[in-house]
Parts: sequence; structure tokens; C-alpha cells
Amino acid sequence: MHNQDYIASGVLELYAAGGLTQAEREEVERRAAASPDIRLALDEACAAMEAYAALYAAQPRPELKGRVMQEIENHGFEERALPAEEPIVQPLYPVDSEASSAYRWMFAASIVLLLLSGALSFHFYTKWQHAEERLAGVIASEQLLAQNIRNTSLQLQKQAETLSILRNPEFKPVRLQGVEAHPEASMLVYWNPSRQQVYVDAVTLPAPPAGKQYQLWALKDGEPVDAGLIQAPGGRMSLQQMKSVSSAQAFAVTLEPAGGSEVPTLEQLTVMGNVES
Amino acid sequence: MADQQPIPKLTEEDLVSRLRARDTSAMSVLYDMYSATLYGVVLQIVKVEAIAEDVLQEAFVKIWNSFGSYDASKGRLFTWMINICRNQAIDVIRSKQHRVNNMTEDIAGSVRSGLYSDEFKPEHVGVREMLERLNPEQRQVIDLMYFEGLTQSEIAEEYNIPLGTVKTRARSAVKFLAKFFKGRA
Repeated sequence: MHNQDYIASGVLELYAAGGLTQAEREEVERRAAASPDIRLALDEACAAMEAYAALYAAQPRPELKGRVMQEIENHGFEERALPAEEPIVQPLYPVDSEASSAYRWMFAASIVLLLLSGALSFHFYTKWQHAEERLAGVIASEQLLAQNIRNTSLQLQKQAETLSILRNPEFKPVRLQGVEAHPEASMLVYWNPSRQQVYVDAVTLPAPPAGKQYQLWALKDGEPVDAGLIQAPGGRMSLQQMKSVSSAQAFAVTLEPAGGSEVPTLEQLTVMGNVES
Repeated sequence: MADQQPIPKLTEEDLVSRLRARDTSAMSVLYDMYSATLYGVVLQIVKVEAIAEDVLQEAFVKIWNSFGSYDASKGRLFTWMINICRNQAIDVIRSKQHRVNNMTEDIAGSVRSGLYSDEFKPEHVGVREMLERLNPEQRQVIDLMYFEGLTQSEIAEEYNIPLGTVKTRARSAVKFLAKFFKGRA
């Protein structure tokens, strides 16, 4: 741009008023240094703004001069050793060193806090995991305990039942003795004729072969009546209730195919005993 | 402006050569000649006297320390100095801390309006008339640039004025001031 056009463009006035960016200012200064005409026009514009600014002139407190001169004397020594190389025009948005160092500190502090909280999180996570495991163990053993209590109270109930049968005078105990083929076998039957209830107890019969089961019979006037299948003896503490029997002179047990038979297989008679009247 | 102050003076060339020679007494003269104008500008920008004093002190130290980088071919000494002061002051008002501090003041009321009306020196006869004749829109633009540190494009954006209009107003204002002060000199 020709010098006169440049002067007429208004950029010098913008420079004087302070409305240019750093790069634009440098361009104006370059042109002013190269052309006396531009320099003259620039000085005129700047002088006008400075005269305007001088309208606001105010005397600072007299002590300020002492402070300023003291600072300058102090800096004088450093400056002789280190000539200044700061730019003439300071950028409008310089890096605020105080703020940025504060940010650096804050950044460093935040990283430390992050690491610390990470370590704490890990620590508490591990503790939590252990606590969870222990809690699971406690819950399992508590369930086991509850199961044991249920079993125990069930057994207790059965034994109370057993005891009530044994103590009941209406029940007649019938001892069944092993026949010649099974002299060591024996069994007890408790029968309540008035209520027609039958229980078997203390089953000491030989273990039945596979596919076979012991069956109890009530003998009434020489006729065998089915009184139910005997469960495999397993050292159970409770009595087994059998089918109801209204009247009988004797009880007998035979070995029958699994599921029982309609009529007893007499060759397989294991134990038998008479009802005492 | 500077020559309006009744203080022992040196020519700009003398001052510059003595400052280049690291003559601290030249700084004393410089302070006496320009401190009132520079302080007034800084005070207009930062609005609080204690801050303005700190800014002025830092600016003078900077002027002294970086005097080696002053290039007389690029502009007048006073222009260079006043720009250092303005930049220093504008840095302060743009710092976050200052903005936070200023929030309460802005709520309490405009400090600037108080400074505007009564700070003029009595020897500036006709200043009020001059300011009255200066178009308020034009004055707003140069005040935003000079005392708030906004660039022409920032003004255009923030005040929703076309950039060309901002330029024209700034140019007209400075032209008007140049003519006004030339007539008075």
C-alpha cells in the first residue's frame, strides 16, 4: 500500500488508540520506521491520544517515587550484567507466570491426590473383598447351623413321637424272633389294636439282596394280611409306621421281590412272633 | 501532554541517551515528567489507587530494565512508555483474581463513572466542552481500546458494531483530538 493510502487507511489512529493486535502493531511500527511520512502521522495520532489520556493525569502519592527509585537502583546492578531483551510491546495476553505457576502447583497437587485416592481405593477395595468373603463364609456356616437345628428338632420330634408310642399302654410290643434259617434276626412290632396302628422298630434283619424287600404280615386266624413293606434298616432312631391292622394273633416278615407280594412266600420267612393276649 | 507539566525537562534525545548509559538520575527526571500522566492512565484502567501504584512501580522497573529494547526509530519514547504502563495495567484487570475482586465493585456501582467526571485538572480549560463535542459513540470506541485494552475486532464482536464502523469511529475520534490539541498547543 502506498504510504499516503496507508496513512489515510486509519490504521495509525487505531494504533494510537490501542485497538490493534500485537501483529498489527508490529506491522505499523515497521512501516513507521521505514517511512518518515508515516512516522510523522503516527506520532501525531499518538500525541493526540496521549493528550487525551493526560486529561486524566493524577499525581500519585509522593512516597511512590521513593519506592520506584529504590527498585530501579536495586535492578541497576543486575541490569549492567544482563542487558534486557524484553520486547518493546508486551502482548496483551501474556502468560501470567504467577497464575501459571499456581496452576502447575494445582496440577501437581491434583496428581498427588489422584494417586493417593487410587491407593486408598485399592486398599478399601481389597478390604471390602475380604469382608465379602468372610461374610459369605459366615452366611454359609449360619445356614449349616440352621439346617442342623432343623434336623435336630425333626429328630427330636420323631423321638418324642417314638417315646409317646413306647409309653402308651395301648401299644402291645411284639417281639419277632428269627426262624431256624436266620437265628440272629429279630424285630420289634408295636401294635395298638384299638387304633389299629402298627409300628416296627429295632430292625435287625439281614441286608436284603438286590431286588428284594422285607414285607410285614399280620396273621389273623391263620390268614396272612399285608401290613406294608419295611424300609431298609439304616440305624434310624424312629419307628416306621405300617399299614393299619385291626386284629392279629401273630406278625411275620418274609423276603419278597421289591414292591411286595399279595401272598407271603413262606420259604422266605425270616422272623415271626405271637401277640401276647 | 508531557510538556504541559511544569517540571524540569530534558529533550527526549537527552533522556534516551542518558537512559541508555544506565543513568538512574535520568529515571528520576523521567518519573517527574511523566508519572502523573502515566498514573492517571493506569488508574483509569485499574480504578483502584493501591493497584495503580503497584502497576506504575512495576511499569517503571520494566521501562528501566528493558530500556535497551526501546527503538527510537519505531516511535516516541512517551508512546513506548505509556504502552508499557497500559499493558501492565490491562494484564492486571484481565487476570482472573482481579476479575473476581471486581465483581463486587461492579455490583456496588460503576467506579469508572466517578473517575470520569471529576478527575480533570483545572488547567485543562475547555476540556469539558471538548469532550462534549467529541461524539459519544466515537469516544466509547477509543475509551474501550485505550482504557479497557480491547482490540477493534473485540469491540465489534462484544458491542455488535460492524468492524468498519469501529474503525471509522476510532479514526474520527483521534483526528478530532489531534485537531483539538493542535489548536491549543
